[in-house]
Amino acid sequence: MPCSEKLRVACSLGGAYTALSINGVLPVLHSGPGCLGQARAVLAASNGGQSSFPYQENIVPCSDFTESQVVFGGVENLRKVVSQSLEAYKAEALVVLEGCTPAIIGDDVEEVVGSFAGSKIPVLFASTVGFKGDNIQGHTLVLKALIDGLLEPPAKRSDRQVNIFGIVPYYDAFWEGTLEALGELLKAVGLEPNILYGLDNGLDKFRKIPEAAFNLVISPWIDVGIAQDLEKRFGTPYLQQTHLPIGPTETTKFLRRLANFAELDRNVVEAVIKREERRYYYYVQKALPWIYRCKALPKEFFLLGGSGTALSVTKFLVNDIGLIPRAVYVTEDVPDEHRERVVELFSDLEAKADFPVIVGSDGGIFEATATTETVQGRPAIFGSVLDEIYAKENLLPFVSISTPLGNNLVGESHYFGYQGGIRLFHEFYSAAAGSAVNLL
Amino acid sequence: MSLELESPVSQTREQRLGSITGYQGNLHDLVQSGCGGGLKNRSRCLSTASSCSHGPAIGQLSGIEGVVVVDHSPIGCTAGQTGAQNLRGRAPTDPDVKIRQRRVFSTGMTEPDTVFGGTETLRDTVRIAFERHHPRAIFITTSCVSSIIGDDVESVARELTEELGIPVGTASTEGLRSKIWASGFDAYCHAVTRSLVKAPPKRRNDVINYVGFVKVGRKKIDHLFARLGLEVNYLTANSTLEDFARASEALGTFIQCGSAASYLAGALEQLHGVKFFQTYPPYGGLGFERFFRQLGAFIGKEKEAEEVIAEQRARYAPELEALRQELTGAKAVIALGGTYAFEYLRMLGELGIEVVHTAAFHFDPRLDNQSDDPISFAADVQELGLRSDVSVNDIQQYEIYLTVKKLQPDFVVSRAHGASPWAVRTGVVAVEAQIGIQIFGYEGLVHLGRTIALELRNRNFSKKLAHHFESPFTETFEASEPFAKLLPEAA
Repeated sequence: MPCSEKLRVACSLGGAYTALSINGVLPVLHSGPGCLGQARAVLAASNGGQSSFPYQENIVPCSDFTESQVVFGGVENLRKVVSQSLEAYKAEALVVLEGCTPAIIGDDVEEVVGSFAGSKIPVLFASTVGFKGDNIQGHTLVLKALIDGLLEPPAKRSDRQVNIFGIVPYYDAFWEGTLEALGELLKAVGLEPNILYGLDNGLDKFRKIPEAAFNLVISPWIDVGIAQDLEKRFGTPYLQQTHLPIGPTETTKFLRRLANFAELDRNVVEAVIKREERRYYYYVQKALPWIYRCKALPKEFFLLGGSGTALSVTKFLVNDIGLIPRAVYVTEDVPDEHRERVVELFSDLEAKADFPVIVGSDGGIFEATATTETVQGRPAIFGSVLDEIYAKENLLPFVSISTPLGNNLVGESHYFGYQGGIRLFHEFYSAAAGSAVNLL
Repeated sequence: MSLELESPVSQTREQRLGSITGYQGNLHDLVQSGCGGGLKNRSRCLSTASSCSHGPAIGQLSGIEGVVVVDHSPIGCTAGQTGAQNLRGRAPTDPDVKIRQRRVFSTGMTEPDTVFGGTETLRDTVRIAFERHHPRAIFITTSCVSSIIGDDVESVARELTEELGIPVGTASTEGLRSKIWASGFDAYCHAVTRSLVKAPPKRRNDVINYVGFVKVGRKKIDHLFARLGLEVNYLTANSTLEDFARASEALGTFIQCGSAASYLAGALEQLHGVKFFQTYPPYGGLGFERFFRQLGAFIGKEKEAEEVIAEQRARYAPELEALRQELTGAKAVIALGGTYAFEYLRMLGELGIEVVHTAAFHFDPRLDNQSDDPISFAADVQELGLRSDVSVNDIQQYEIYLTVKKLQPDFVVSRAHGASPWAVRTGVVAVEAQIGIQIFGYEGLVHLGRTIALELRNRNFSKKLAHHFESPFTETFEASEPFAKLLPEAA
């Protein structure tokens, strides 16, 4: 995509973060010394103060490509780094990721990786070349490398196990909190979530993928191909939930869909719904007197974010908060084959709304096309730290919900489900009141 | 050695200065072999992700008011900068520093660009960037990809300078050219020297340049320079094109550090005879005294300089003495850049702290000054007898981790590049180092002393955390010596 400003994606090498989110998987980079640092800035450090653990970014092995290797080739240096990594790190698998430079000069990285066959742990390969795609592509390539390299047909099958896909670790700043909360909700309705990323989730969970009753893909398009591959390979059906449910409307719909698909106990599911909706509205009720007190609050919003975030947050804002979108900017280069469908998903809302959905990685286009009309009626801006200055300069309410999230610590927080809805409800009204015209 | 300022491409630190990224020994030996020209770099058999010149260059260029950067690279190289620089832009608040947006575009190079060349995409992106923001200058930065495929960025910049009627400069910021990310600062300095610095219409004896990251805190130092009749011209983020244009009029330049500023200070000296004050960076008490004494002599205001020195020394003496009492006997490991590693070595000494190891992320045996003035650490060794065990680290934090674990200091002082988490994980307190204006003179030294004292008074955080850390390394690695991965010197 020529000409991108305010980029909100990393390059394919950012797929290293998917490896870093699976315990025991150590990425080994065949790239320039700064490549991981660039991905880190947008996917981790500026994205809610994230950092990988226990393999903090600055101990991730890297061949640190130099000019002389461009001339003489970098494979011998890579071989040395891989063999040193096998000795120095506690790891259960290595994934070698190649960047732009070895790809252009024609290093045979596959040969190097192949020469480590029979090592004490698997050494795998993902060609995450930066000029060939973004970090979502890199995420997919790393997952594929692990799936192809590690998974075997299952000895047994579970009728309750569900593998979770579609959430891209680190790129989705809320991945850890979301996955933990989602896991709890799935358990509450009688399923056994198999979560692949985060604390205590490592290759043991990954190797259980083929045993699942079904795969749950929470994304408008990401990981759908992975689920289709798993269906072909292991006969595992999949359920696509096109957006992360936020708030009561979408979470309840999601649970009922899940109950139908997985033949869950309806009574259990309805009891959870009743309990959680009651809790959500309890907190909303308590906020009403504060909200309706001499405040001029926005009814419209602009939203900028990756496809998953944009769709999930838009649904909540329209279906539960009752706002109206002015425009949504999907700040990823959604592949052509999914693009039309992704845009279409934004029309499935519980309100009449006619608004443009603009897709593409040029995150500067919103401001470049903004006029005095843009700020009329003081719409709220839901976006990333890259949108904050614009919002504040124009005195618009601003909530940071998308990548890069900003200079804060995201920790275990999330916007998933009923609980996440309560959080976003409060954040929106706090931001709105904070910059509202005081009518007292 | 003179800088090749006519060339479109800045020379790297390795080429110009003989800088290195791998070494283990001591400061005395470094000075002897470094300044004698016998210094050899040592590489490592285990290397980890570090940093490249892209970030420093784009960070500095995009910070200049009215400047837009067009990064001729795949999206990933630019994306990191967009995120990082927008955060930096808002970090500290200071009435003099307004929070503004950094404007950085990517040409988003894709596979066809690598086959057919990317200059058309580059032209289009520069034009769009111009249309969107109507900048007063544009800088094109290069990447590994644009450089390997041989895109003639310089010609594009020349054509567009004519077409758009504003300066369109270039900076060679491909990561693979140098092991030292600070070469990116050089690329920035080279670019602004060629595009923004103008020949001086007149010489001014009342202006001195400061080259660094930011001018936050300038009120702390402006009044000291005013006592010598000097105004400081800040060449930092939020500086204007005019600030750079008039830099050549100044009587001299002092710098935040050799990493960020040596090249520009050297270029100003080479082209316009602006004195590069590099031997005595004004940090801590001793640095400040020696700098002000030298500066006073240079402009014939020895008396005024001595007055300021005496006042400052007296003003902070009681608190400094109390801090020395408290801190004497404390042991430190330093993990900082090529300049501050040794600035902190001297300053910690002023506070009575024993430095048990100094790790510099890279090492410059000299800077870009055109005079024979020695580099600061060499002067410190000679004049103050400064000593320390030293390693040159290339941001290989596993070496810091093993060093800290072995030496068990009271604290580690570090900042960017992620050494501090490895200290804290081993139960050692981490002190966040400040640089530039924040540690200027006695006020800066006392500020540093207070920070360290406060950190050492309550060590609960790191002490408790250490009990909950599981190492990602094997037992063999854990048992190895900190510098076991350093290979013998290349022939």
